[in-house]
Amino acid sequence: MNPTEAIPLLIVVLLMISIGGGDVQEMSVTFQGDNDIDSLADVHVVAGGTTTVPADATLEGDVYVIGGTAAIDGAVDGDVTLLNGNLSVNDGATVTGTLQTYSGAAVISSDASVGHVSQFEPPTPSSSPAQRIGAFLLQFLVLGAFGWWLAERHPSIIENVGAAITEHTLVSAVIGSLAATTLLVLFVYMAFTLILLPLAIVGLFAEFLIVLYGQAVFGYLIGMRLPIEADGVATLAGIAAFLLVLELLGLVPYLGGIAQLGVAVVGVGAVLNTYFGLQRFEPITIPGGT
Amino acid sequence: MGIVRNIRQRRWTTVAGYVLFVALMVAGYYYNITFVQLGLIDLGTRLVGMTETTVSMWMAALALVTLVVAVVTGVTMDRRGWSTDLRTKFRLLFGVVCVQFALTLVAPMVRTVPEFGAWIVLASIGLGVGFPVSFSLAIDLVPVPDRGYVAAAITAIAYFLANAVPLSWSIDVFSQLMVAAMAPGLLVLAVLSFVSYDRLDDLLDDLGAQHGIYGTGRFCHGASVRTRSLTFAVPVVLMFGVFFIDSLGFLRIIDTPSLLLSSWQSPELSTRLFIAVAHVVGAVMAGVIYANYSLSRIFLWTFALFALTHVMYTSDLRLAAVFPTIAGNGASPLNPALYAIAVSFYTTLNFALWPDLSTPETIGTHSAIGIGVAGWLATFSSTALALYFQAVDLTLLSHLNVVQALSLLLLFGLAVGLYARQMIELARENGGARA
Repeated sequence: MNPTEAIPLLIVVLLMISIGGGDVQEMSVTFQGDNDIDSLADVHVVAGGTTTVPADATLEGDVYVIGGTAAIDGAVDGDVTLLNGNLSVNDGATVTGTLQTYSGAAVISSDASVGHVSQFEPPTPSSSPAQRIGAFLLQFLVLGAFGWWLAERHPSIIENVGAAITEHTLVSAVIGSLAATTLLVLFVYMAFTLILLPLAIVGLFAEFLIVLYGQAVFGYLIGMRLPIEADGVATLAGIAAFLLVLELLGLVPYLGGIAQLGVAVVGVGAVLNTYFGLQRFEPITIPGGT
Repeated sequence: MGIVRNIRQRRWTTVAGYVLFVALMVAGYYYNITFVQLGLIDLGTRLVGMTETTVSMWMAALALVTLVVAVVTGVTMDRRGWSTDLRTKFRLLFGVVCVQFALTLVAPMVRTVPEFGAWIVLASIGLGVGFPVSFSLAIDLVPVPDRGYVAAAITAIAYFLANAVPLSWSIDVFSQLMVAAMAPGLLVLAVLSFVSYDRLDDLLDDLGAQHGIYGTGRFCHGASVRTRSLTFAVPVVLMFGVFFIDSLGFLRIIDTPSLLLSSWQSPELSTRLFIAVAHVVGAVMAGVIYANYSLSRIFLWTFALFALTHVMYTSDLRLAAVFPTIAGNGASPLNPALYAIAVSFYTTLNFALWPDLSTPETIGTHSAIGIGVAGWLATFSSTALALYFQAVDLTLLSHLNVVQALSLLLLFGLAVGLYARQMIELARENGGARA
């Protein structure tokens, strides 16, 4: 695991530490090689290689595994969290706190002593048709309410964004992809400084909202082509159709994902280009030529 | 896009102008980014036996002499009316390519420092004459509204070839390839310069007359941009900044084998292809932005991309310094890909900007000063600074966390500030949305 690959999971670790509220002064990370550790910083992160807590060692602090392999033969006076990679708690080993597994492979010996074992079960939205329909309806309700409100109360705003999508698709795609990518990288690296972590969380949430805004406008554009007179109702119907198309695109391998991504970046670009719909986007007029 | 309209209307002379300009600029730029920027380092260190520092000093000298020669050439072109004479420009270009062809041919035979010095001086003269002449062809061959797209095409093709075609960074390899590529180019330029028959004369007359329509650049309509004006000076300074940052950063990167071998010199074709495609994507994006937005917007994007690129590089290096065990673990291709996009952005801007800040009367001077100061002087200064850093063994590592946080905050603050100001102005002006 190289630094760039490790960064997202390291940020998750940092978030978990900050949410946990513990007084962490020092953190160490191993990325490769075979390492026996008999003393511990407040937090130790295993990101690669093999890290072993020897049978005769007693460590005070928390261990996070985000890659590689961690083998506990001795005692850990703290919590052990598995986010990715492999974890084995072997015969005679002791973990006084909670052993929490989110992902990866954990093997806990029956002869090991663990204070509390907790396994995170991720929600599986695709497990039942009812759940999928429920999620779809929730998405439709949120986007539909927003789209209906815009179409009924601020028609020129949604019209401006729509015009940017239909008349300047390439420009919207370029700006959307640039803005989405650079802001994403910016926020991730802001989070990594810890100082700017709150700003990064707000920024990522704002970026997500812009994507939703773009989706609502796509729904509006479809709605305006339906034989429905009332703009608000047409937008609602359009958003339903748009979300359905997005779902169907998701079933097409590779190309479907690319198309979904394309729609998202065009929407983001159109929203940004029109200052959230406050101004119609008009490209610069270049004088001269034929 | 004008070229599509020209093709539909079967205006083949104008279309030929596009093709000719792109071909000439791609060839010139490819020569510059491979043979001059990379081949000379190999020539100086491996064949002549100089240290990298000494070669860097010679490269800085090349940049400075090129700047002086370019300014003299550009001013002379404008004063003598060569800027508006297409045949004269082709003849000058033919002379330059002849010199470069000979220099390229003999480069692998250079073995002593005086020979290397003489080679550098002659190459500087060739480059110094060559780039104002080649940039001035834009006023004859490229319609103003299409300059962003044409610049994007030049950047995309040159960088794609430079990255996707697996070449060893050695003077022998570069020399053989360039000689083979330049020979037909020389022939074409010789025909354009000296051969006279009716159809060719008609073609050149038509192309040569186009500067009456295309000569006045995008930023010169209404009021001409004077050389001693802020309208010209500000882009020069901004471009100097971009070139300087790029050059200083790249000098460090190519001096770090672990970074180089996992990116531009990777043995994996897929990695180099990834970087090559990133260059193309960056160039297309820059072309679209240049053609649809104000100049400030593309500068803002360029700075933002460079800031992000260097933050990513420095963050990786900082992590590697804190956790030395990962130092030999290979670097992610995402960083050089982002770097490639940023480089394509400003290169595209560079190809379009100077003709658009010029008229037929000022194209020689403006392109010479623009590229000379922004490109070559920035290269000279960044090389000098890199040598100074090397001499004092400077490390910025201890400051990196604070600098990184501050630079991100400043960039983000600037972008949000500009955007929010516009939003507030719009909301106040209209009391809501404007259709």
